[in-house]
Order: sequence, then C-alpha cells, then structure tokens
Amino acid sequence: MSTTAAPAPGASRQDLTLLEEHWGERPSLRSWFSTVDHKRIGRRYLVTAGLFFFLAGVSALTMRTQLARPESRLLSPQEYNQLFTMHGTAMIFLFATPMLFGFGNFLVPLMIGSRDMAFPKLNAFGYWVFLLAGLFMWVSLPFGAAPNAGWFAYVPLTERVNTPGLHLDVYSLGLLFLGIATTAASINFIVTALKLRAPGMSLNRVPLFVWAIVATAFMVIFALPALNLDNAMLFLDRRFGTHFFDPGAAGNVLLWQHLFWIFGHPDVYIIVMPALGIVSAVLPAFTRRGVVGYPLIVLAIVTIAIISFGVWVHHMFATGLPRLSYSFFSAASSIITIPSGIQIFAWLATMALGRLVLKVPLLYLIGFIVTFVLGGFTGAMFALTAFDQQVTDSYFVVAHFHYVLIGGAVFPMLAGIYYWLPKITGRMYHEGLGRWAFWLVFAGMHVTFFPMHLYGLFGMPRRVYTYRSEPGWDAWNLVSTIGSYLLAIGLLLVLIGVVHAIRRGRPAPPDPWGGDSLEWSTESPPKPYNFPVLPEVHSLHPTWDEPSRESMGAGATEDRILAEGRRTLFTSELDGRRERVVEMPEASLQPLVLALALLVFFTTMLFAWYPVAIAAVVVVAATIGVWLWPPRRPERELGVST
Amino acid sequence: MSAHPGPRARLAGGLLLWYAVLGGAVAWAVHLFAAWGVDELTCASGRERIGALPLQAVVAIAVVLPALATVGALLAAALVWRRTAHPPEGLDEHPVRRSRLLAVVAIWSNLLFLAIIVLGGAALLVLPPCLR
Repeated sequence: MSTTAAPAPGASRQDLTLLEEHWGERPSLRSWFSTVDHKRIGRRYLVTAGLFFFLAGVSALTMRTQLARPESRLLSPQEYNQLFTMHGTAMIFLFATPMLFGFGNFLVPLMIGSRDMAFPKLNAFGYWVFLLAGLFMWVSLPFGAAPNAGWFAYVPLTERVNTPGLHLDVYSLGLLFLGIATTAASINFIVTALKLRAPGMSLNRVPLFVWAIVATAFMVIFALPALNLDNAMLFLDRRFGTHFFDPGAAGNVLLWQHLFWIFGHPDVYIIVMPALGIVSAVLPAFTRRGVVGYPLIVLAIVTIAIISFGVWVHHMFATGLPRLSYSFFSAASSIITIPSGIQIFAWLATMALGRLVLKVPLLYLIGFIVTFVLGGFTGAMFALTAFDQQVTDSYFVVAHFHYVLIGGAVFPMLAGIYYWLPKITGRMYHEGLGRWAFWLVFAGMHVTFFPMHLYGLFGMPRRVYTYRSEPGWDAWNLVSTIGSYLLAIGLLLVLIGVVHAIRRGRPAPPDPWGGDSLEWSTESPPKPYNFPVLPEVHSLHPTWDEPSRESMGAGATEDRILAEGRRTLFTSELDGRRERVVEMPEASLQPLVLALALLVFFTTMLFAWYPVAIAAVVVVAATIGVWLWPPRRPERELGVST
Repeated sequence: MSAHPGPRARLAGGLLLWYAVLGGAVAWAVHLFAAWGVDELTCASGRERIGALPLQAVVAIAVVLPALATVGALLAAALVWRRTAHPPEGLDEHPVRRSRLLAVVAIWSNLLFLAIIVLGGAALLVLPPCLR
C-alpha cells in the first residue's frame, strides 16, 4: 500500500467546515429521496443494476435447468419465451449499461477533479427513471405479461395480430421510458467531461476511462433515437392500428430490423466500451506503469465509437438484401477488429513491460483478455457473410455474444468492483474469497458457454424451450447447465465478498493500490465535496506526479478551494483552462417527482387510461417548469464570477 | 517569425485540424449511406439504373469521392503532425500537445476509414449490384 493517510489538504479548517456545510447531507428520509450527490447516485446505480442482474441471472438458471435434459417440462413454452426475453432485455438494458454508468457516475467527477456532475439534478432524475423503468418491466413477469418475443422483438411476430396481450406494449413503453434515463445520463457525462475537468487537464491528459465514458455517451446520443423511433412505431402499430411495419399497407418489416440494429450494434460497444475503459484504469495500479500507447488507445476508442455505426447489417445477413450492400458492412465489420486489437495489444504490452501485482482485479483483467479475445475471434467469423448465413439463429451465436458480453463487460466490471470497493465503501475486501470467486466465475463461464459453440455447429437453434434428443446436443447441454450453476456460485461468492467487506472489512486507506488517477487522492470514501482543493493537473498520471499532488496542498488559490457556497470550476473543453466558477444545485425532490409523473404516464398508456395519461403529462410539464424557473438571487450570491 | 499566429492563421489551422480529425469519418459515413442506400433502394424498386447512369457507376462515385476526401484528410493530419513536432519557442505547449495527439489519432483513423471504403468498393469489381 502506497498511502496510509489522507493527503494533507491545502484548505484551512474553516474552509473544510464551510465545504462540509455546503456539500454535506444530513442522513434523513428526505435526503435519501432528494440527494443529488454523484457518489450516492453512482452507488445506487451499481446496487440497482446488480439487483436486475440477479433477476436476469435467476431467469437464466431456470432456463438452463429446463435445457439440461431433452423434452423437459419444467417451463411451459409461454413461460420460457417470457424468461428468455426478460433475461436478454434486462441484461442489455437494465444491467450492463446502467452498471457501467454507475461506475461513471461515481468515478468521472473524481477522476477529472470536479466536485460533482455538471447537472446533479438531471443525474438524480436519470437514476429514478432507470429504477422505475426497470420495475415497470420486471413487474409484468409475475402477471404473465412480460415481453415474450426476444430482446430484439422482430416484426411481424411482435405485431398485435401475432402477439396479443400487453407483452410487447410493456417492452416498447418500458424501453421508451428507460431511454429517457440513458439519454439524460449521457448528456450529463459529455458536459461534465468537457466543462468540469480540473485546470491543466487538457485532452491529452484525460484518463482513458473518461475517454471511454464520453465516447459511449456520444454513441448513446446518436444510437438511441433509432430504438426509440422503432418502439414508438411498434406501439402505434399495436395500439392505434398504424401500419409502419405492415407490408400489406406499404409498410416494411425490414424497417424494424434496420432501425433496431442501427441502435443494436453500437449498443454492443456502448456496453463494452466503458468496460474497456475500466481495464485501462485498473491496469496501471497492478503493473506499476502507465498503459502503453495512450494515443493509440484513444484512437481505438474514437474509431470504434464511429465505425460501430456502420456494421449493423451484419445482423441481417440472412434477410436477402443485395450482396453488394452486404459488402460495405462486411468491410466495416472486419476493420473494426483492428482498433479492438490495438487495445488488446496495448494491454498485453503494459503487462509485459510492467511489474505484475497479482491481486483479484488483475486476475479478472487476465480472465477478460482470454474470454474477450475468444469472443472477438468468433466475431470476426461473423463478419464474413457466407459463415454468418450458416450459423445464424443457432447456439453458436449465443456462445459468441456471451463470450463478448461476459468477457468484455462482466469481467472488467468485476475487476472494477474489487478495485474501487475500497474507494466506494471505505473498506477492503477479503483477497482469498475474491480469488475463489474469480476461479469459479472463470471456470463456470467457459464450461457454460464454450459447448454452445459445438451444439450450435451441430444445428441446435436458439430460443427453443426444449428439444428432442439429438446426437451431440444432450450431453453438451447438460455440461452447459452444470457450468451455469458453477458460474452462479462464483457470482454469489462475489456478492458475499462485497457484503463481507462492507460489514467486516478493514478500513481502506485513501490509496490502497498506488493508483495513478485523481480519485486516489481523495479519502476513502470521499468527502461530499470530493476535493478540499480542486487539483491542478500536470501530467497523465496526476497521483504519481509531484506537481499535481502538491497543487492540492498548501498554497492553493481561492478559485480552487471555493468554500463559500456550493461551487465548482468550469474549464475550457480542449485545454482545461480556467473559465469561471459556477454554483451547483442543491438537493431537490423535483427529480423524483418528475420520474414518478413519467411512471404514471407510461403505466396509464399501457392500460389505455388516456385521461390520466394526459393529467400525467400536465404534471410532467409543470415539474419541468418549476425545475427550470430561474432562481431570484443576485449574481454575487449565486457565486457566479468571471 | 512570430510565435503567436494571427487570427486568420489560427482559424485556418483549426479548420485544417478538424478536417484532419473528422474528414475520414464523415467521408466514410457519406460513402456508407450513399452506396448502401442507393443499392438497396434501387434494387428493391426493380431497376438497375438511376436516370441515365447505371447503378454500378453511381455506387462507384459513392466510393471514389469519399475515398479522395479521406486521402485529403489523411494528408492534412500528416501536415498537422509534422507542424506540431517542433513548436516555436514561447508558444503555449497545451494546445500543441493536444493537437499532436489529435493528429496521431487522425492519421490512423483516416487509414482505417480509407481501408473500409476501399474494401467495400472492391466488391463492386466482382458483384453485380442487385445479386441476392
């Protein structure tokens, strides 16, 4: 451990008292509902996404139990359809992105040397919408009304005539509701990273995790409208009889697929990109050196974010479009492996040139590289139209994307949980328990999903609730089911490890790993105001660099202490130059009220109670009006100065 | 020579930098939507010509022009990279270092975008535009 005590703050005792007064929140029920502190909101994202992960995981275990033997009758076809749809939908929309946004919420302001996100109330609003949208979707399951047509909900199967009931209305309205949260969070990340960086943090000193979060946020802003449009049209077709996807009325069924995958393929990178950012953030502490090839990793992040928008048709290689048009997407799908490969080689070079400290987070990073490379290898195979057409809709595809998503997102998340647990909770985890959990998760993952490549190639289609006994299917399915239980036990041990750390872990020092980014120069857990003195950044590794650390000590100027009021510093987008001091909003119930009004709107739309829906719209408009109403205070009192 | 360029030179330098950084990406996006869109929509309507031009020629234009724009962006990136190698003394180092990072990113990304356009365009040589 490199540090055992918080760095001596450059702020006086009086400044610290004032900062505590302005930023601290007294524990109370009201403060629980009204908080806008990015750290509390980040923790809530992590816990809530973890809860949805648990529900989706239990769904997966139930399905694997059903598929352990041929012709099993544990689940009916209708129940199975709802379970696999909710499993996929929840893992993609309610676990992966929100979990990574939880890391972003907690870490981005700390990594860039700010006191909060740019729009703290919008941040709280995003969390409440995420929670309510997730509950909106999951509550439908016990009523037998959950979405039931796969996470990508292809038309015409999902049109009302083919799937009656509320199932797909829950899907389309739930995702439209959730999209508000994701969009709000993305805007917040972009503005925070562009305007709230500490002085001196020019673009070439921005931590790679922040680059990854910002690239992800831009991808969300450009990709999500396509999904929202798709779901709005599906809802209109189902509820109000429009014909967007009806070929009989000049609609087009492929329109759904195009719009869905214009969102869907970037979404793979929306999920993986912040996780790759976690890898770049964790690695320096456990290799004792900076990540090799910083500019090339930035290049990889930026190019992946852009090229990911030009590969969507490789999900449609079996739809009969002209082969020439496939070639444009095949080319992009092949080339996108290059920036992904650059990152892998940069991390391998970092490990080769550094001095490895083999703690649990590094074990997960090594597990990530093995698993993600295997997933990437089969991904390159899918870029080839002829191969793709042979294995489409088979278990080979299921194996591929679980390697990519568990390897590329879950392993880095687990590395991140162990790495930042001391910072988030102020407690150290149990190393031995963490190692057991890693080996069970790693083995369980491969025992579950590797055989799927085989029985996929043997012809087993995906999304079947049972199967007749076929040579090459039965035994491998049983192996997959055994592996899934192993994986579940490993993940349970992770949970036990986290609970153990919170309840019995020894107190964590500010910087237990000798990390290189600014969050390690705060206390564990950080004070409500994060930094007594906002840092001045002099290098890419500010915690390893003397002038940056000294900038938080004695002699700091008033414009970096800002003890008079709830204030932080705006800097320029490219070079991180001081611009002005801004006042940050205080705790408020408006975000919760607005989210609840939206819940009423979407629920009443689901049940076709349109007058109540109109009333909810009025409440939404009124709440936004109150929210945006300018405060009647003089500029001096607002703390605004040039 | 003055260490601080005038406003016009700064504007020109800024535009050149952003063309270098974004030119390839924008050109590739235009290529993708034009080539794919024209091919899919024209074939779906049962035709293989757009006005007087054969479909293959229109797709070829949607390949060649964006490829040239990407080559231009690549050259601009190389120029920025060379110019930021030895900044004049007295010049603020923050923007120079940041520009150099962007130039490196631009050179490699333009190469990638050019490769995608060329690989996609190569299919024109072997595949009839409406073969399914």
